Order: sequence, then structure tokens, then C-alpha cells
Amino acid sequence: MKKLILIVGILFFAVSSQAQMTAETIVKKAFDYWRGEASVSTITMTIHRPDWERSMTIKAWTRGESDSLFVITNPAKDRGNSTLKAGKGMWIYNPKVNRVIKLPPSMMSQSWQGSDFSNNDLAKSDSLIKDYVHTLEDTKIVQDKKVYSIKSIPKPDAPVIWGMIKLKIREDNILLSEVFFDEDLEAVKIMTAWDIRMAGGKLFPLKWKMEKSDAKDEYTRFVYEKIDFKKSLNKNIFTRTHLKNPDI
Amino acid sequence: MSIELKMAWRNIWRNPRRTLLTISAIAFASMILVFMLSFQLGCYETMINTSVKISTGHLQIQAKGYLKDKKMRLVIKDPEQVAKFLDTVEGIDTYTFRANGFSLVSSDTRTYGVVVTGIDPLKEAHVSSIKSLVRKGSYLKEDDETAALIGELLSHNLKVDINDELTILGQGKDGSIAAAVLTIKGIFTSGIDEFDRNVIMMGLKGFQEIFSMGKSVHEAVITADSLGDVSMVKQEIQNNFLKIKGGEYLAVPDWMEIMPGLLQGIQMDLVSGIIMYIILVIVVAFSIFNTFLMAIFERTREFGVMMAIGTTPSRITKLVMFESICMTIVGILLGIIIGSLVTLYFQNKGIYIAGTEDILKQYGIPDRLYPRLSLISATAGPLVVFVITFVSSVFPALKIRKLKPVEAMNNI
Repeated sequence: MKKLILIVGILFFAVSSQAQMTAETIVKKAFDYWRGEASVSTITMTIHRPDWERSMTIKAWTRGESDSLFVITNPAKDRGNSTLKAGKGMWIYNPKVNRVIKLPPSMMSQSWQGSDFSNNDLAKSDSLIKDYVHTLEDTKIVQDKKVYSIKSIPKPDAPVIWGMIKLKIREDNILLSEVFFDEDLEAVKIMTAWDIRMAGGKLFPLKWKMEKSDAKDEYTRFVYEKIDFKKSLNKNIFTRTHLKNPDI
Repeated sequence: MSIELKMAWRNIWRNPRRTLLTISAIAFASMILVFMLSFQLGCYETMINTSVKISTGHLQIQAKGYLKDKKMRLVIKDPEQVAKFLDTVEGIDTYTFRANGFSLVSSDTRTYGVVVTGIDPLKEAHVSSIKSLVRKGSYLKEDDETAALIGELLSHNLKVDINDELTILGQGKDGSIAAAVLTIKGIFTSGIDEFDRNVIMMGLKGFQEIFSMGKSVHEAVITADSLGDVSMVKQEIQNNFLKIKGGEYLAVPDWMEIMPGLLQGIQMDLVSGIIMYIILVIVVAFSIFNTFLMAIFERTREFGVMMAIGTTPSRITKLVMFESICMTIVGILLGIIIGSLVTLYFQNKGIYIAGTEDILKQYGIPDRLYPRLSLISATAGPLVVFVITFVSSVFPALKIRKLKPVEAMNNI
């Protein structure tokens, strides 16, 4: 009898650590799938408020897990404003004053270009895989595909903003939704992705929405107009010199 | 003058030393109360006026919700209409318009997030003390559009001086990117660290252009004729909002709503002050009670003789009560006079408390404090002392009723 309990116990631990392993891999794979090795895309960002709406077109380059460059191409008034994220640093450039400014830590929680994304959401994009412990909560079948529900809790002492993140990831590595919780585990922001189609050589959700959970009529929507996944991109793209003169 | 009152007055001077001691205890307590209360109220008024003068004004007109969220889009659409209306309201000393935008400011080496405020240089000088706070360089001229005033701590953080350039980068009212290069024209020191660290001021016209504001502004900042007029003016404006086009979207927060911290600080301080006064008054009450009681024990024989020759106990009680009231009144009057004189002296000279500059700075108080004598501060404390001494003299006086003439006369 004792032996049986021991065996069951060992099995149980084996299974649970297996589950944790998978959760971690699922997230890692989804993240890598989302970012690709490198990508070049054109996005229309729409900021919606109850009494007001504004759209802009952004050209974006990403490379690996942490380098990104965003350049506004439309409206004409804001054309050429750009944001560079390389490693842990973040810089913005404005053509009118012709200056590159490094974002100070105190500004990281401010919104990016007035959207529902904060500078932190951009700067700490890779924090999800580095700073959180993931557990698989649930697996469901939706439209013939498995959808994993994953709960991510920050590692102790990790420099994170969120108290908890809940992810929904489809078995083919597509991130369907991400819910951000504050330290009191209240939902703060919800990001959802839909309109999954073949784009740039793989299945990819072309529409994304970030909304605050307490104000339903306030959201920021991303629509990928064009996306190309590449094997690699030149390192020079993600430099401050290039920030001033992107090829748009 | 009734015979009792005459006797009471003579009686209290039969033992001048005891009387003087009692009177001086009462006078001292009253004096302390007058001075402390004046000092406290004076500090509060200084605090309020300094804070109000630095940025908020007594009252503001803003779009509803702006106070809470400070959203760029919540504006006063037509400031000219508001100005026309404000000109008709009585009790307003002066007013000005401002617009605020959160923005990044960077020098060659550093970047910080700050509030950029667009001010009307001419009108602003009457409403706030900013013009006199410029310690280096000069104040803005009316047509300066790309000149800026910057707080001393911020200039230190950014490592910039006058005539250096600053880049500001924020978001305009229409969501577009607001960017500009400003030249530092003056550096101000308000003494309030938060203000000196987080604020840049520039001309309203330049601000409206950079931040795509059109003609709109965020705040109409109003100074009333005096602090006491604030609620009246607020009422008046509120009642007449509908006269302004779009007035139903406007709100009039007063300084208490704009700076709730200041009011809470004052209330907290007042409570701790009151606790101290209560302790002081209780100590005084006990010492007076003791003096009265001793006096009656000493005079038991005298009361016995009076009763024996036919004075009723109630008449003696009345006599003793008159005595205590006489002493209290003399004491209180003395206290008020001396207290007022001391207060008036410091009201002119100010009190410097060494080593408290930093704490005071946080509340925006200059390093010299000025008590302020008013009818309330001069009478409230002494009045409490009067009531308390009266109550504490009733008990000893009632003891007289229990005296038996023969036993009392045998008392030494």
C-alpha cells in the first residue's frame, strides 16, 4: 500500500513537472512564432475613445526577442516620428526638432503615442518569457484546435509590472489573448487577436486589440496591412542613426 | 453695585498674594491660548495663500472631469466667453487662463517627464507669484512663444542654464505629436520641490500652437478678493454657468478640491493643536480648583462667623462665586491684553524656527512664520478658560452650604 502511494506520488510529480515544462514551451514557442526571427510589417493603429478616434499608419521592424523599430508614416503631420527599442533601452525621435531622446525610466508607464499600450508593453516585450513562471490551467478544443489556457505568475524579485498574466494560446502557437492583472489580481488590460490568415508565409492573426477592462469603449486596435517574416534583418536597422533615417 | 459684589472685590484683595497667583495662572493660560491659536491660524493662512499664489489660485474653472484625469482633451472650448462672464462676477480680484500638457523634456544629456504649462505672461503675473519667483534670468514677455521658464530643481536635473535649449515632446490635443525646441529664459524657485522639479512654463499662444489646442485652454485660474470670499464667488459662478455657451460642461473646483492634501494637513494639525489646548486647559482648571478649595478651607472660621450673625449660606455661596468670577475676568482680560500684544509683536516681526525649513518647504511656507490675531483667536481660548474656571469654582462654593456655624467657628 505504501509503495502504491509512493508510486502514485512520484507519478503525480512527474506529470505536474511535465505540465509545467509544456506550459513554458508553449509560451516560448508562441512568442517565437509571433515575433519570428525577424519581421517587417505595416500596421494601422486606431485609438478609439468614446467621443473621438484617431488612426495612424506605422511601419515596424522586429528582430529576435527584443529589438524593434516603429516609424509613423501617416498622418503626414506625424510622419517620421519613430521609436527604437534595442536591448533594454528605448529611444524616440521627432523629425521636427531633429532630436533622439532616450526614454527615462519614469516615463515607461506612460502610454505610447496616446494608445492603450504603455512604453513598458513595448520595452518589456520579452519579459513574459524571462520573468514569469507559467502553468497550464486548462485545455479546450475550439474549432477542432486545442487552446491552452496558461497562467503566468512573476518570478520572485523579477522586475515586472503585472501581478499575473493569463494567456490563451492555440496549439499551432498562435497567441489568442493576453489578460494583464495588477498586483491585487484585478484584470487591467485585455489584448485579443483574431482574423487568423496566411500572411508572410505563415498563419498569423492580422487584427489585435488592447482594451482597458474597466472602460469598454476605449481601445487601441492594430491591423496588420502587410507582414513579412524574414530569416534575419541587418543589425544596423536597430541603431539610433537609423532611427533618424528609416527607409519608409 | 450690589453689596455682594463690593464685598467680593474687597475679599479678593485681602490676600493679595493668593489672588495674584490665581489671576496670573488664568492670565498665563489665556495668553498662551491667544498666542498659540493666532500662530496656528496665521500659519494656515500663510500656507493657503502661498500655495494658492504659486499655482492653483483660489478657484478654477475647468471642464468637468479635468481635475481628476487631467486629460488633454477636456478643455474650455471658448475662453473668451468665460472671460466676458468672469468680468461681470463680483468678488473676483483677477483671473488668467492656462493650458497644461504632459510631456518629455530633454536637454543634451538628460530626459524627464514634466508638465508643460502655457501661461498668459501679463495676466499670470497678477494671479500667481511666478513672476517674483524667477530668481535667474527674466520673466516671459507677452509675445514670447518659444521661451520657457523652468523650475530650479528641474534645471539642475537637466543640467541646463538660461539661454540653453530644451526639447519638449508630448502629445497634442488631437493626438498628434507635439514637439518643439524652447529656449530657457528664466529659472524659478518656489520652494515647493514638487513644483520646482516638474513644471515648465511657456507662453500660452506658443503652447496652443505646439499642442494643437486651437483657442482652447484647460483652466481659468481665479483669485478672489480674499480667502473669505471664495465660497461666495464659487456659488455665483456656479449659478450662472448656463450664461456661458457650453457652460454645462464646466466645473468650478476651489482650492480645497484642487489641493485636498493641504486641507487635510490643516485639519490634522488643528486636531493635534486642540488636544494640546485641552490638556493645557485641564491643567489650569485643576490648579484653579485647588486654589479655590484651599481658600475656602482657610476661611471656614470666617464663614462660620458670618452665618452666626445671620448671613444665609446661599448668600455666602454667591459671594464666593462673585470672587472667583472677578478673579477670572481680571485674569482673562490680562491674558487677552498681554497675549494680543505678544501676538502683534510677532505678527510684525515673524518667528524664525531654526532647522524646520525643510518641513515647512514641503507645505510651501516661507521660513518665517507670522501669527495672525483675529477676533476668534483672541477670544476663543480665554472663553474656554472662563467656562472651565467657573465650573471648577462651583464645587468648592457648594461646600459652604454644608457648613454648621458653630463647628465652623471652632475651625482654626
